[in-house]
Amino acid sequence: MRAVRWGLGSAALVAVPWIVAATLPGQQRYVLHVLIFTALYGALALSYDLVVGHVGSLSLAHPAFFGLGAYTAALLATEGRWPFAAALPAGVAVAALVALAVGVPMFRLTEHSFAMGTLGFAIVTQVVATNWVDFTHGPLCVTGIPKPQVGVLRIATLPAFYWMGLVVLALVALLYRGLTTFRLGRAFHAVRDNETLAAAASIDPLRYRMLAFVIGGGVAGGVGALYVSYVGVLCPGELTVSLSVNLLVMIFLGGVGSLRGVLVGAAAFTALPEILRMAPTWRMVIYGLLLLVIVIRAPDGLEGLIRRGSPLGRRASGAR
Amino acid sequence: MSDLVEQLVHGLTLGSLYAMVATGLALMFGVVRLINFAHGEFYMLGGYAFWYAYAELGLPYPVAGLAAVAGMAAFGLAYERGVIRAILTRTWHVQLIATLATSITLTNLAILVFGTQPKEVPTRLSAAILDVGGVRMAWQRLLVLVAAVAIFAGLEWFVAHAKLGKAMRAMSQNREACAVVGVDVQQVALATFGISAGLAAAAAALVSPLFNIFPDVGALLTLKAFAAVIVGGFGYVRGAIAAAFLIGIAESLAAGYVSYAYKDAIAFVVMVAVLLVRPQGLFGRRIGI
Amino acid sequence: MALFETRGLTKRFLGVTAVDAVDLTVEAGELVSLIGPNGSGKTTLFNCVTGYLAPDAGRVTFCGRDVTGLAAHRIARLGIGRTFQLVSVFPRLSAIENLLTFLQQHQEESLVGRLVRAPRVRRLEAAAVERARSLLDSVGLGGRAESLAGTLSYGQRKLLAFAAALMPDPELLLLDEPAAAVNPTMIEQMKAQIRALHRQGKTVVLVEHNMDVVMDISERVVVLDHGQKIAEGPPDVVRRDPKVVEAYFGR
Repeated sequence: MRAVRWGLGSAALVAVPWIVAATLPGQQRYVLHVLIFTALYGALALSYDLVVGHVGSLSLAHPAFFGLGAYTAALLATEGRWPFAAALPAGVAVAALVALAVGVPMFRLTEHSFAMGTLGFAIVTQVVATNWVDFTHGPLCVTGIPKPQVGVLRIATLPAFYWMGLVVLALVALLYRGLTTFRLGRAFHAVRDNETLAAAASIDPLRYRMLAFVIGGGVAGGVGALYVSYVGVLCPGELTVSLSVNLLVMIFLGGVGSLRGVLVGAAAFTALPEILRMAPTWRMVIYGLLLLVIVIRAPDGLEGLIRRGSPLGRRASGAR
Repeated sequence: MSDLVEQLVHGLTLGSLYAMVATGLALMFGVVRLINFAHGEFYMLGGYAFWYAYAELGLPYPVAGLAAVAGMAAFGLAYERGVIRAILTRTWHVQLIATLATSITLTNLAILVFGTQPKEVPTRLSAAILDVGGVRMAWQRLLVLVAAVAIFAGLEWFVAHAKLGKAMRAMSQNREACAVVGVDVQQVALATFGISAGLAAAAAALVSPLFNIFPDVGALLTLKAFAAVIVGGFGYVRGAIAAAFLIGIAESLAAGYVSYAYKDAIAFVVMVAVLLVRPQGLFGRRIGI
Repeated sequence: MALFETRGLTKRFLGVTAVDAVDLTVEAGELVSLIGPNGSGKTTLFNCVTGYLAPDAGRVTFCGRDVTGLAAHRIARLGIGRTFQLVSVFPRLSAIENLLTFLQQHQEESLVGRLVRAPRVRRLEAAAVERARSLLDSVGLGGRAESLAGTLSYGQRKLLAFAAALMPDPELLLLDEPAAAVNPTMIEQMKAQIRALHRQGKTVVLVEHNMDVVMDISERVVVLDHGQKIAEGPPDVVRRDPKVVEAYFGR
C-alpha cells in the first residue's frame, strides 16, 4: 500500500511541469523557477541540518562552503572549460576539503567560540570573494556559466532543470536518511544530546562532528555548483551571513533534525514569499519576526507542533 | 612618518568605537550570560536617533548626544523586557538565533523607515582640523578618544563603588549567590541592558560625525565587537577594551599598509588566530567583569 | 598482573592538589569501594582514569597496557565502563535505544550494507536488541523499554545508566555513587545488581558515601582524604582505622 502511495507521489512530482502547464498557462516559467529554487534550497537546508540538527554544532560557516563549491565550479567551467560532469564533483571536493581543514582547528573550540570561529571564517571567505577581483571577478561577477551537459544529455530547459533539481533533492534526502538513522544516526544524536556520555559509550565526538561537518560542507558545495549552472551568473553577494540566517529560518521553521520538517521549512521559506509577492525588505522583517517567535515558542518548528498535536506525537515528545 | 601617525590616530578612533560597543557586549555576557547578536543595532539605532535629534531637530551637539543615549537606554530596557526575558533561561543556541533574528528585523525596519542612503552628520569638530607637527586630524577624533577614556573610567568607578555597579560585578561572578543574598537579579539585568545600549548610542553620537550612519552598519560592528570580546576573554570588560583597541589599530594599519579592501577581514583573522592559539582569550578565563 | 592499576596518579587544579600520588591496584574479579570525605578526590580520580581529565603525573595501566591520558572514548572502547555521579542518559532516546547506543564498537556496518539492510546487519541489530532487552529486564525496566529516557524517574534513570554501562560487557566497571539520591528499595536493588555482577566475575570499583552499602558489599575498601590514600583493607579493618575516623570526624 505504501509502495503504491510512493509510486503515485513520485509520478505526480515528475509530472509537475505538465500539470503546471495545463493548470496555470502562462505561469509555467515562473512556477518552475520557484520549484527549482525550492529543490536547491531544500538540499542545502538538509546539508545544514546534518550539522546543526543532528550533531548539534551551531556552525555559521555554511555559506562559505556553498560559495566555495559555486566558485570552483563556475571558474572551472568558464575559464577552465571543464565539463559539468567534472566541475560539479570538483566543487564538492573543494568544499569538503576546506571543511576538513577548517573543522580540525574549529572543533577544538568550545561552543560559543566555535560559532564565532565559523562565523569569522565565513566573513573572511566573503571578503576574499569580494576583493580578490583578479581571481573571482569580485563584484563584476562570474558570467556566462554554461548549462550542464553530461554526454548527450543537455539540461537547458526549465523542465529539465526541474527534474535535475528533483533528482538532486531525492539523492540528498536519501543520503540524509542514511546518515541519520541506525547506528550512525544514534552516534550523531548521542554526541548532540550528551557528549560526555557519548564518549563513555566509545563514541568519539570529534570524529562524528567532523563527519557531519565535512559531508554537510561537501553537499553544500555541490548545491553551489548546481546553483551556478542554473543561474549562469555568480556574484559574491551569494555567500553572505544572511544565507546562514535564511538556513536557520528554514530548518527551525520546519523542524530542526527532521527530514520532513526541513523540507517543509525550505518550501515555505522559498515558495511563500513568491506567492505573497512580498518586497525583499518586508520579507526579511517578516522572517526575522517569524524566526524570533518560532525559536522562543516552538523550537521544534512546525514539525514539533504537528507531533505535539497528534496522540502518537504526544507520547513521543515525552516530558519536556 | 606623519602618515603612520595618522593611521595610528585612525586606529585609536576605531579602537574607541569598537571598545565602547564591545564593553556593552562584555557586560551583557558577563552579568547576564547573554549572547546578544543585535548589539550592533543598538549602535545603528542610536546613530539614527542622534541624527534625528541633531540634524532634523537642530538640537545642540551635546544635547542631541545625550538625547540619543537616553533614548537608546530606554530602548535597551524595553528590549530586555520584551525579547531578552523570554530567552534568558534558554540555551545559548536559542539566544544566538533569537538575537540574530532581532538584528535582521531591526536592520530591515531601518531600511524601510530611513532608506538605504547613508546619513551624514557633520559637526563643527568633525570639520575642524587639528594640526600637530605635520599630523592632521579632525578635532572630533580627539573628542572620541577623550570621551571614550572618560566613559571607561566612569564605568570602572561605577562597578567598584556604586550600589548597582557592585551588584553587576557580583552577579557576573556568582549569580546564584546574588539571588540568595537578596540582590534583585531582574533589576540588575535591566540596568545592564540600559547601560549597554546607552554605551552604544554614546559611541554613535561620538563617531557618526566621522563615519556615516546606514542600516547595515550594525552587522559588521557586532561581529567585530564579538571578536574583541572573545579575544579579551569572554565577559572580561577590561580585556575586551584592550582587544578592541588592538583590533582597531591592526585594522587601520592593515588598511593603510596591506590592503584597504581586506581591512574588514582583519578583526576576524585576529580573532581566529587567538582562538586557535589561546582559546581562553588573551587574558585567560576571568571570573566576573 | 593486576587488572587495573594507578601509580603515583596526580591531578592539580589552580594550586589545589585534588589527587595526590595515589597508588591503586585492583585485581580481576574484585569488588572495591573508594571512600573518603567530600572533596577527597574520588570523582576526580575516576575522571582521570576514564579519560575525562588529563593527569598531571603518574601512570594508569589496564590489562598491562598503559592507558594514561587516553581520550575517554578510547578508554571506553578498551573495556572500562562507568556511570556518572549526576545520572547521565540520552533523554531523547528510548530506554532500549540508550542501550543500543552503547554497542558502537560491536557493530561494523558499512554504509552501503546499512542502507540496503543486508542480512548480516539485520542479524547484528537483532542480537543487540536481544541483549538490550535482557539487560533491561534484569534491572527491572523491561516494561519501559520503549519509553523515552527523559520520562523516567530519577531512580529508573540510574538503573538505565547502570544497564547501559553493562551493554558493551566491560571488563572493569566504575560506578560513581550508585546509591546516592535514591530510596531504600532502590538501594537494595542496586546492591543486588552489584553483587550479581561480582558473582559473574566482573571487576567493580565504586565510589560511595553510603557506609551501609560500602560495608555490606565490598571485599576491600580504599580511603582517600585530601587526595591522598590514607588507608585500605577489608571493610571492618578500615572502619576502625584511627586515620579514617579522623578524616571523617576531625580530631
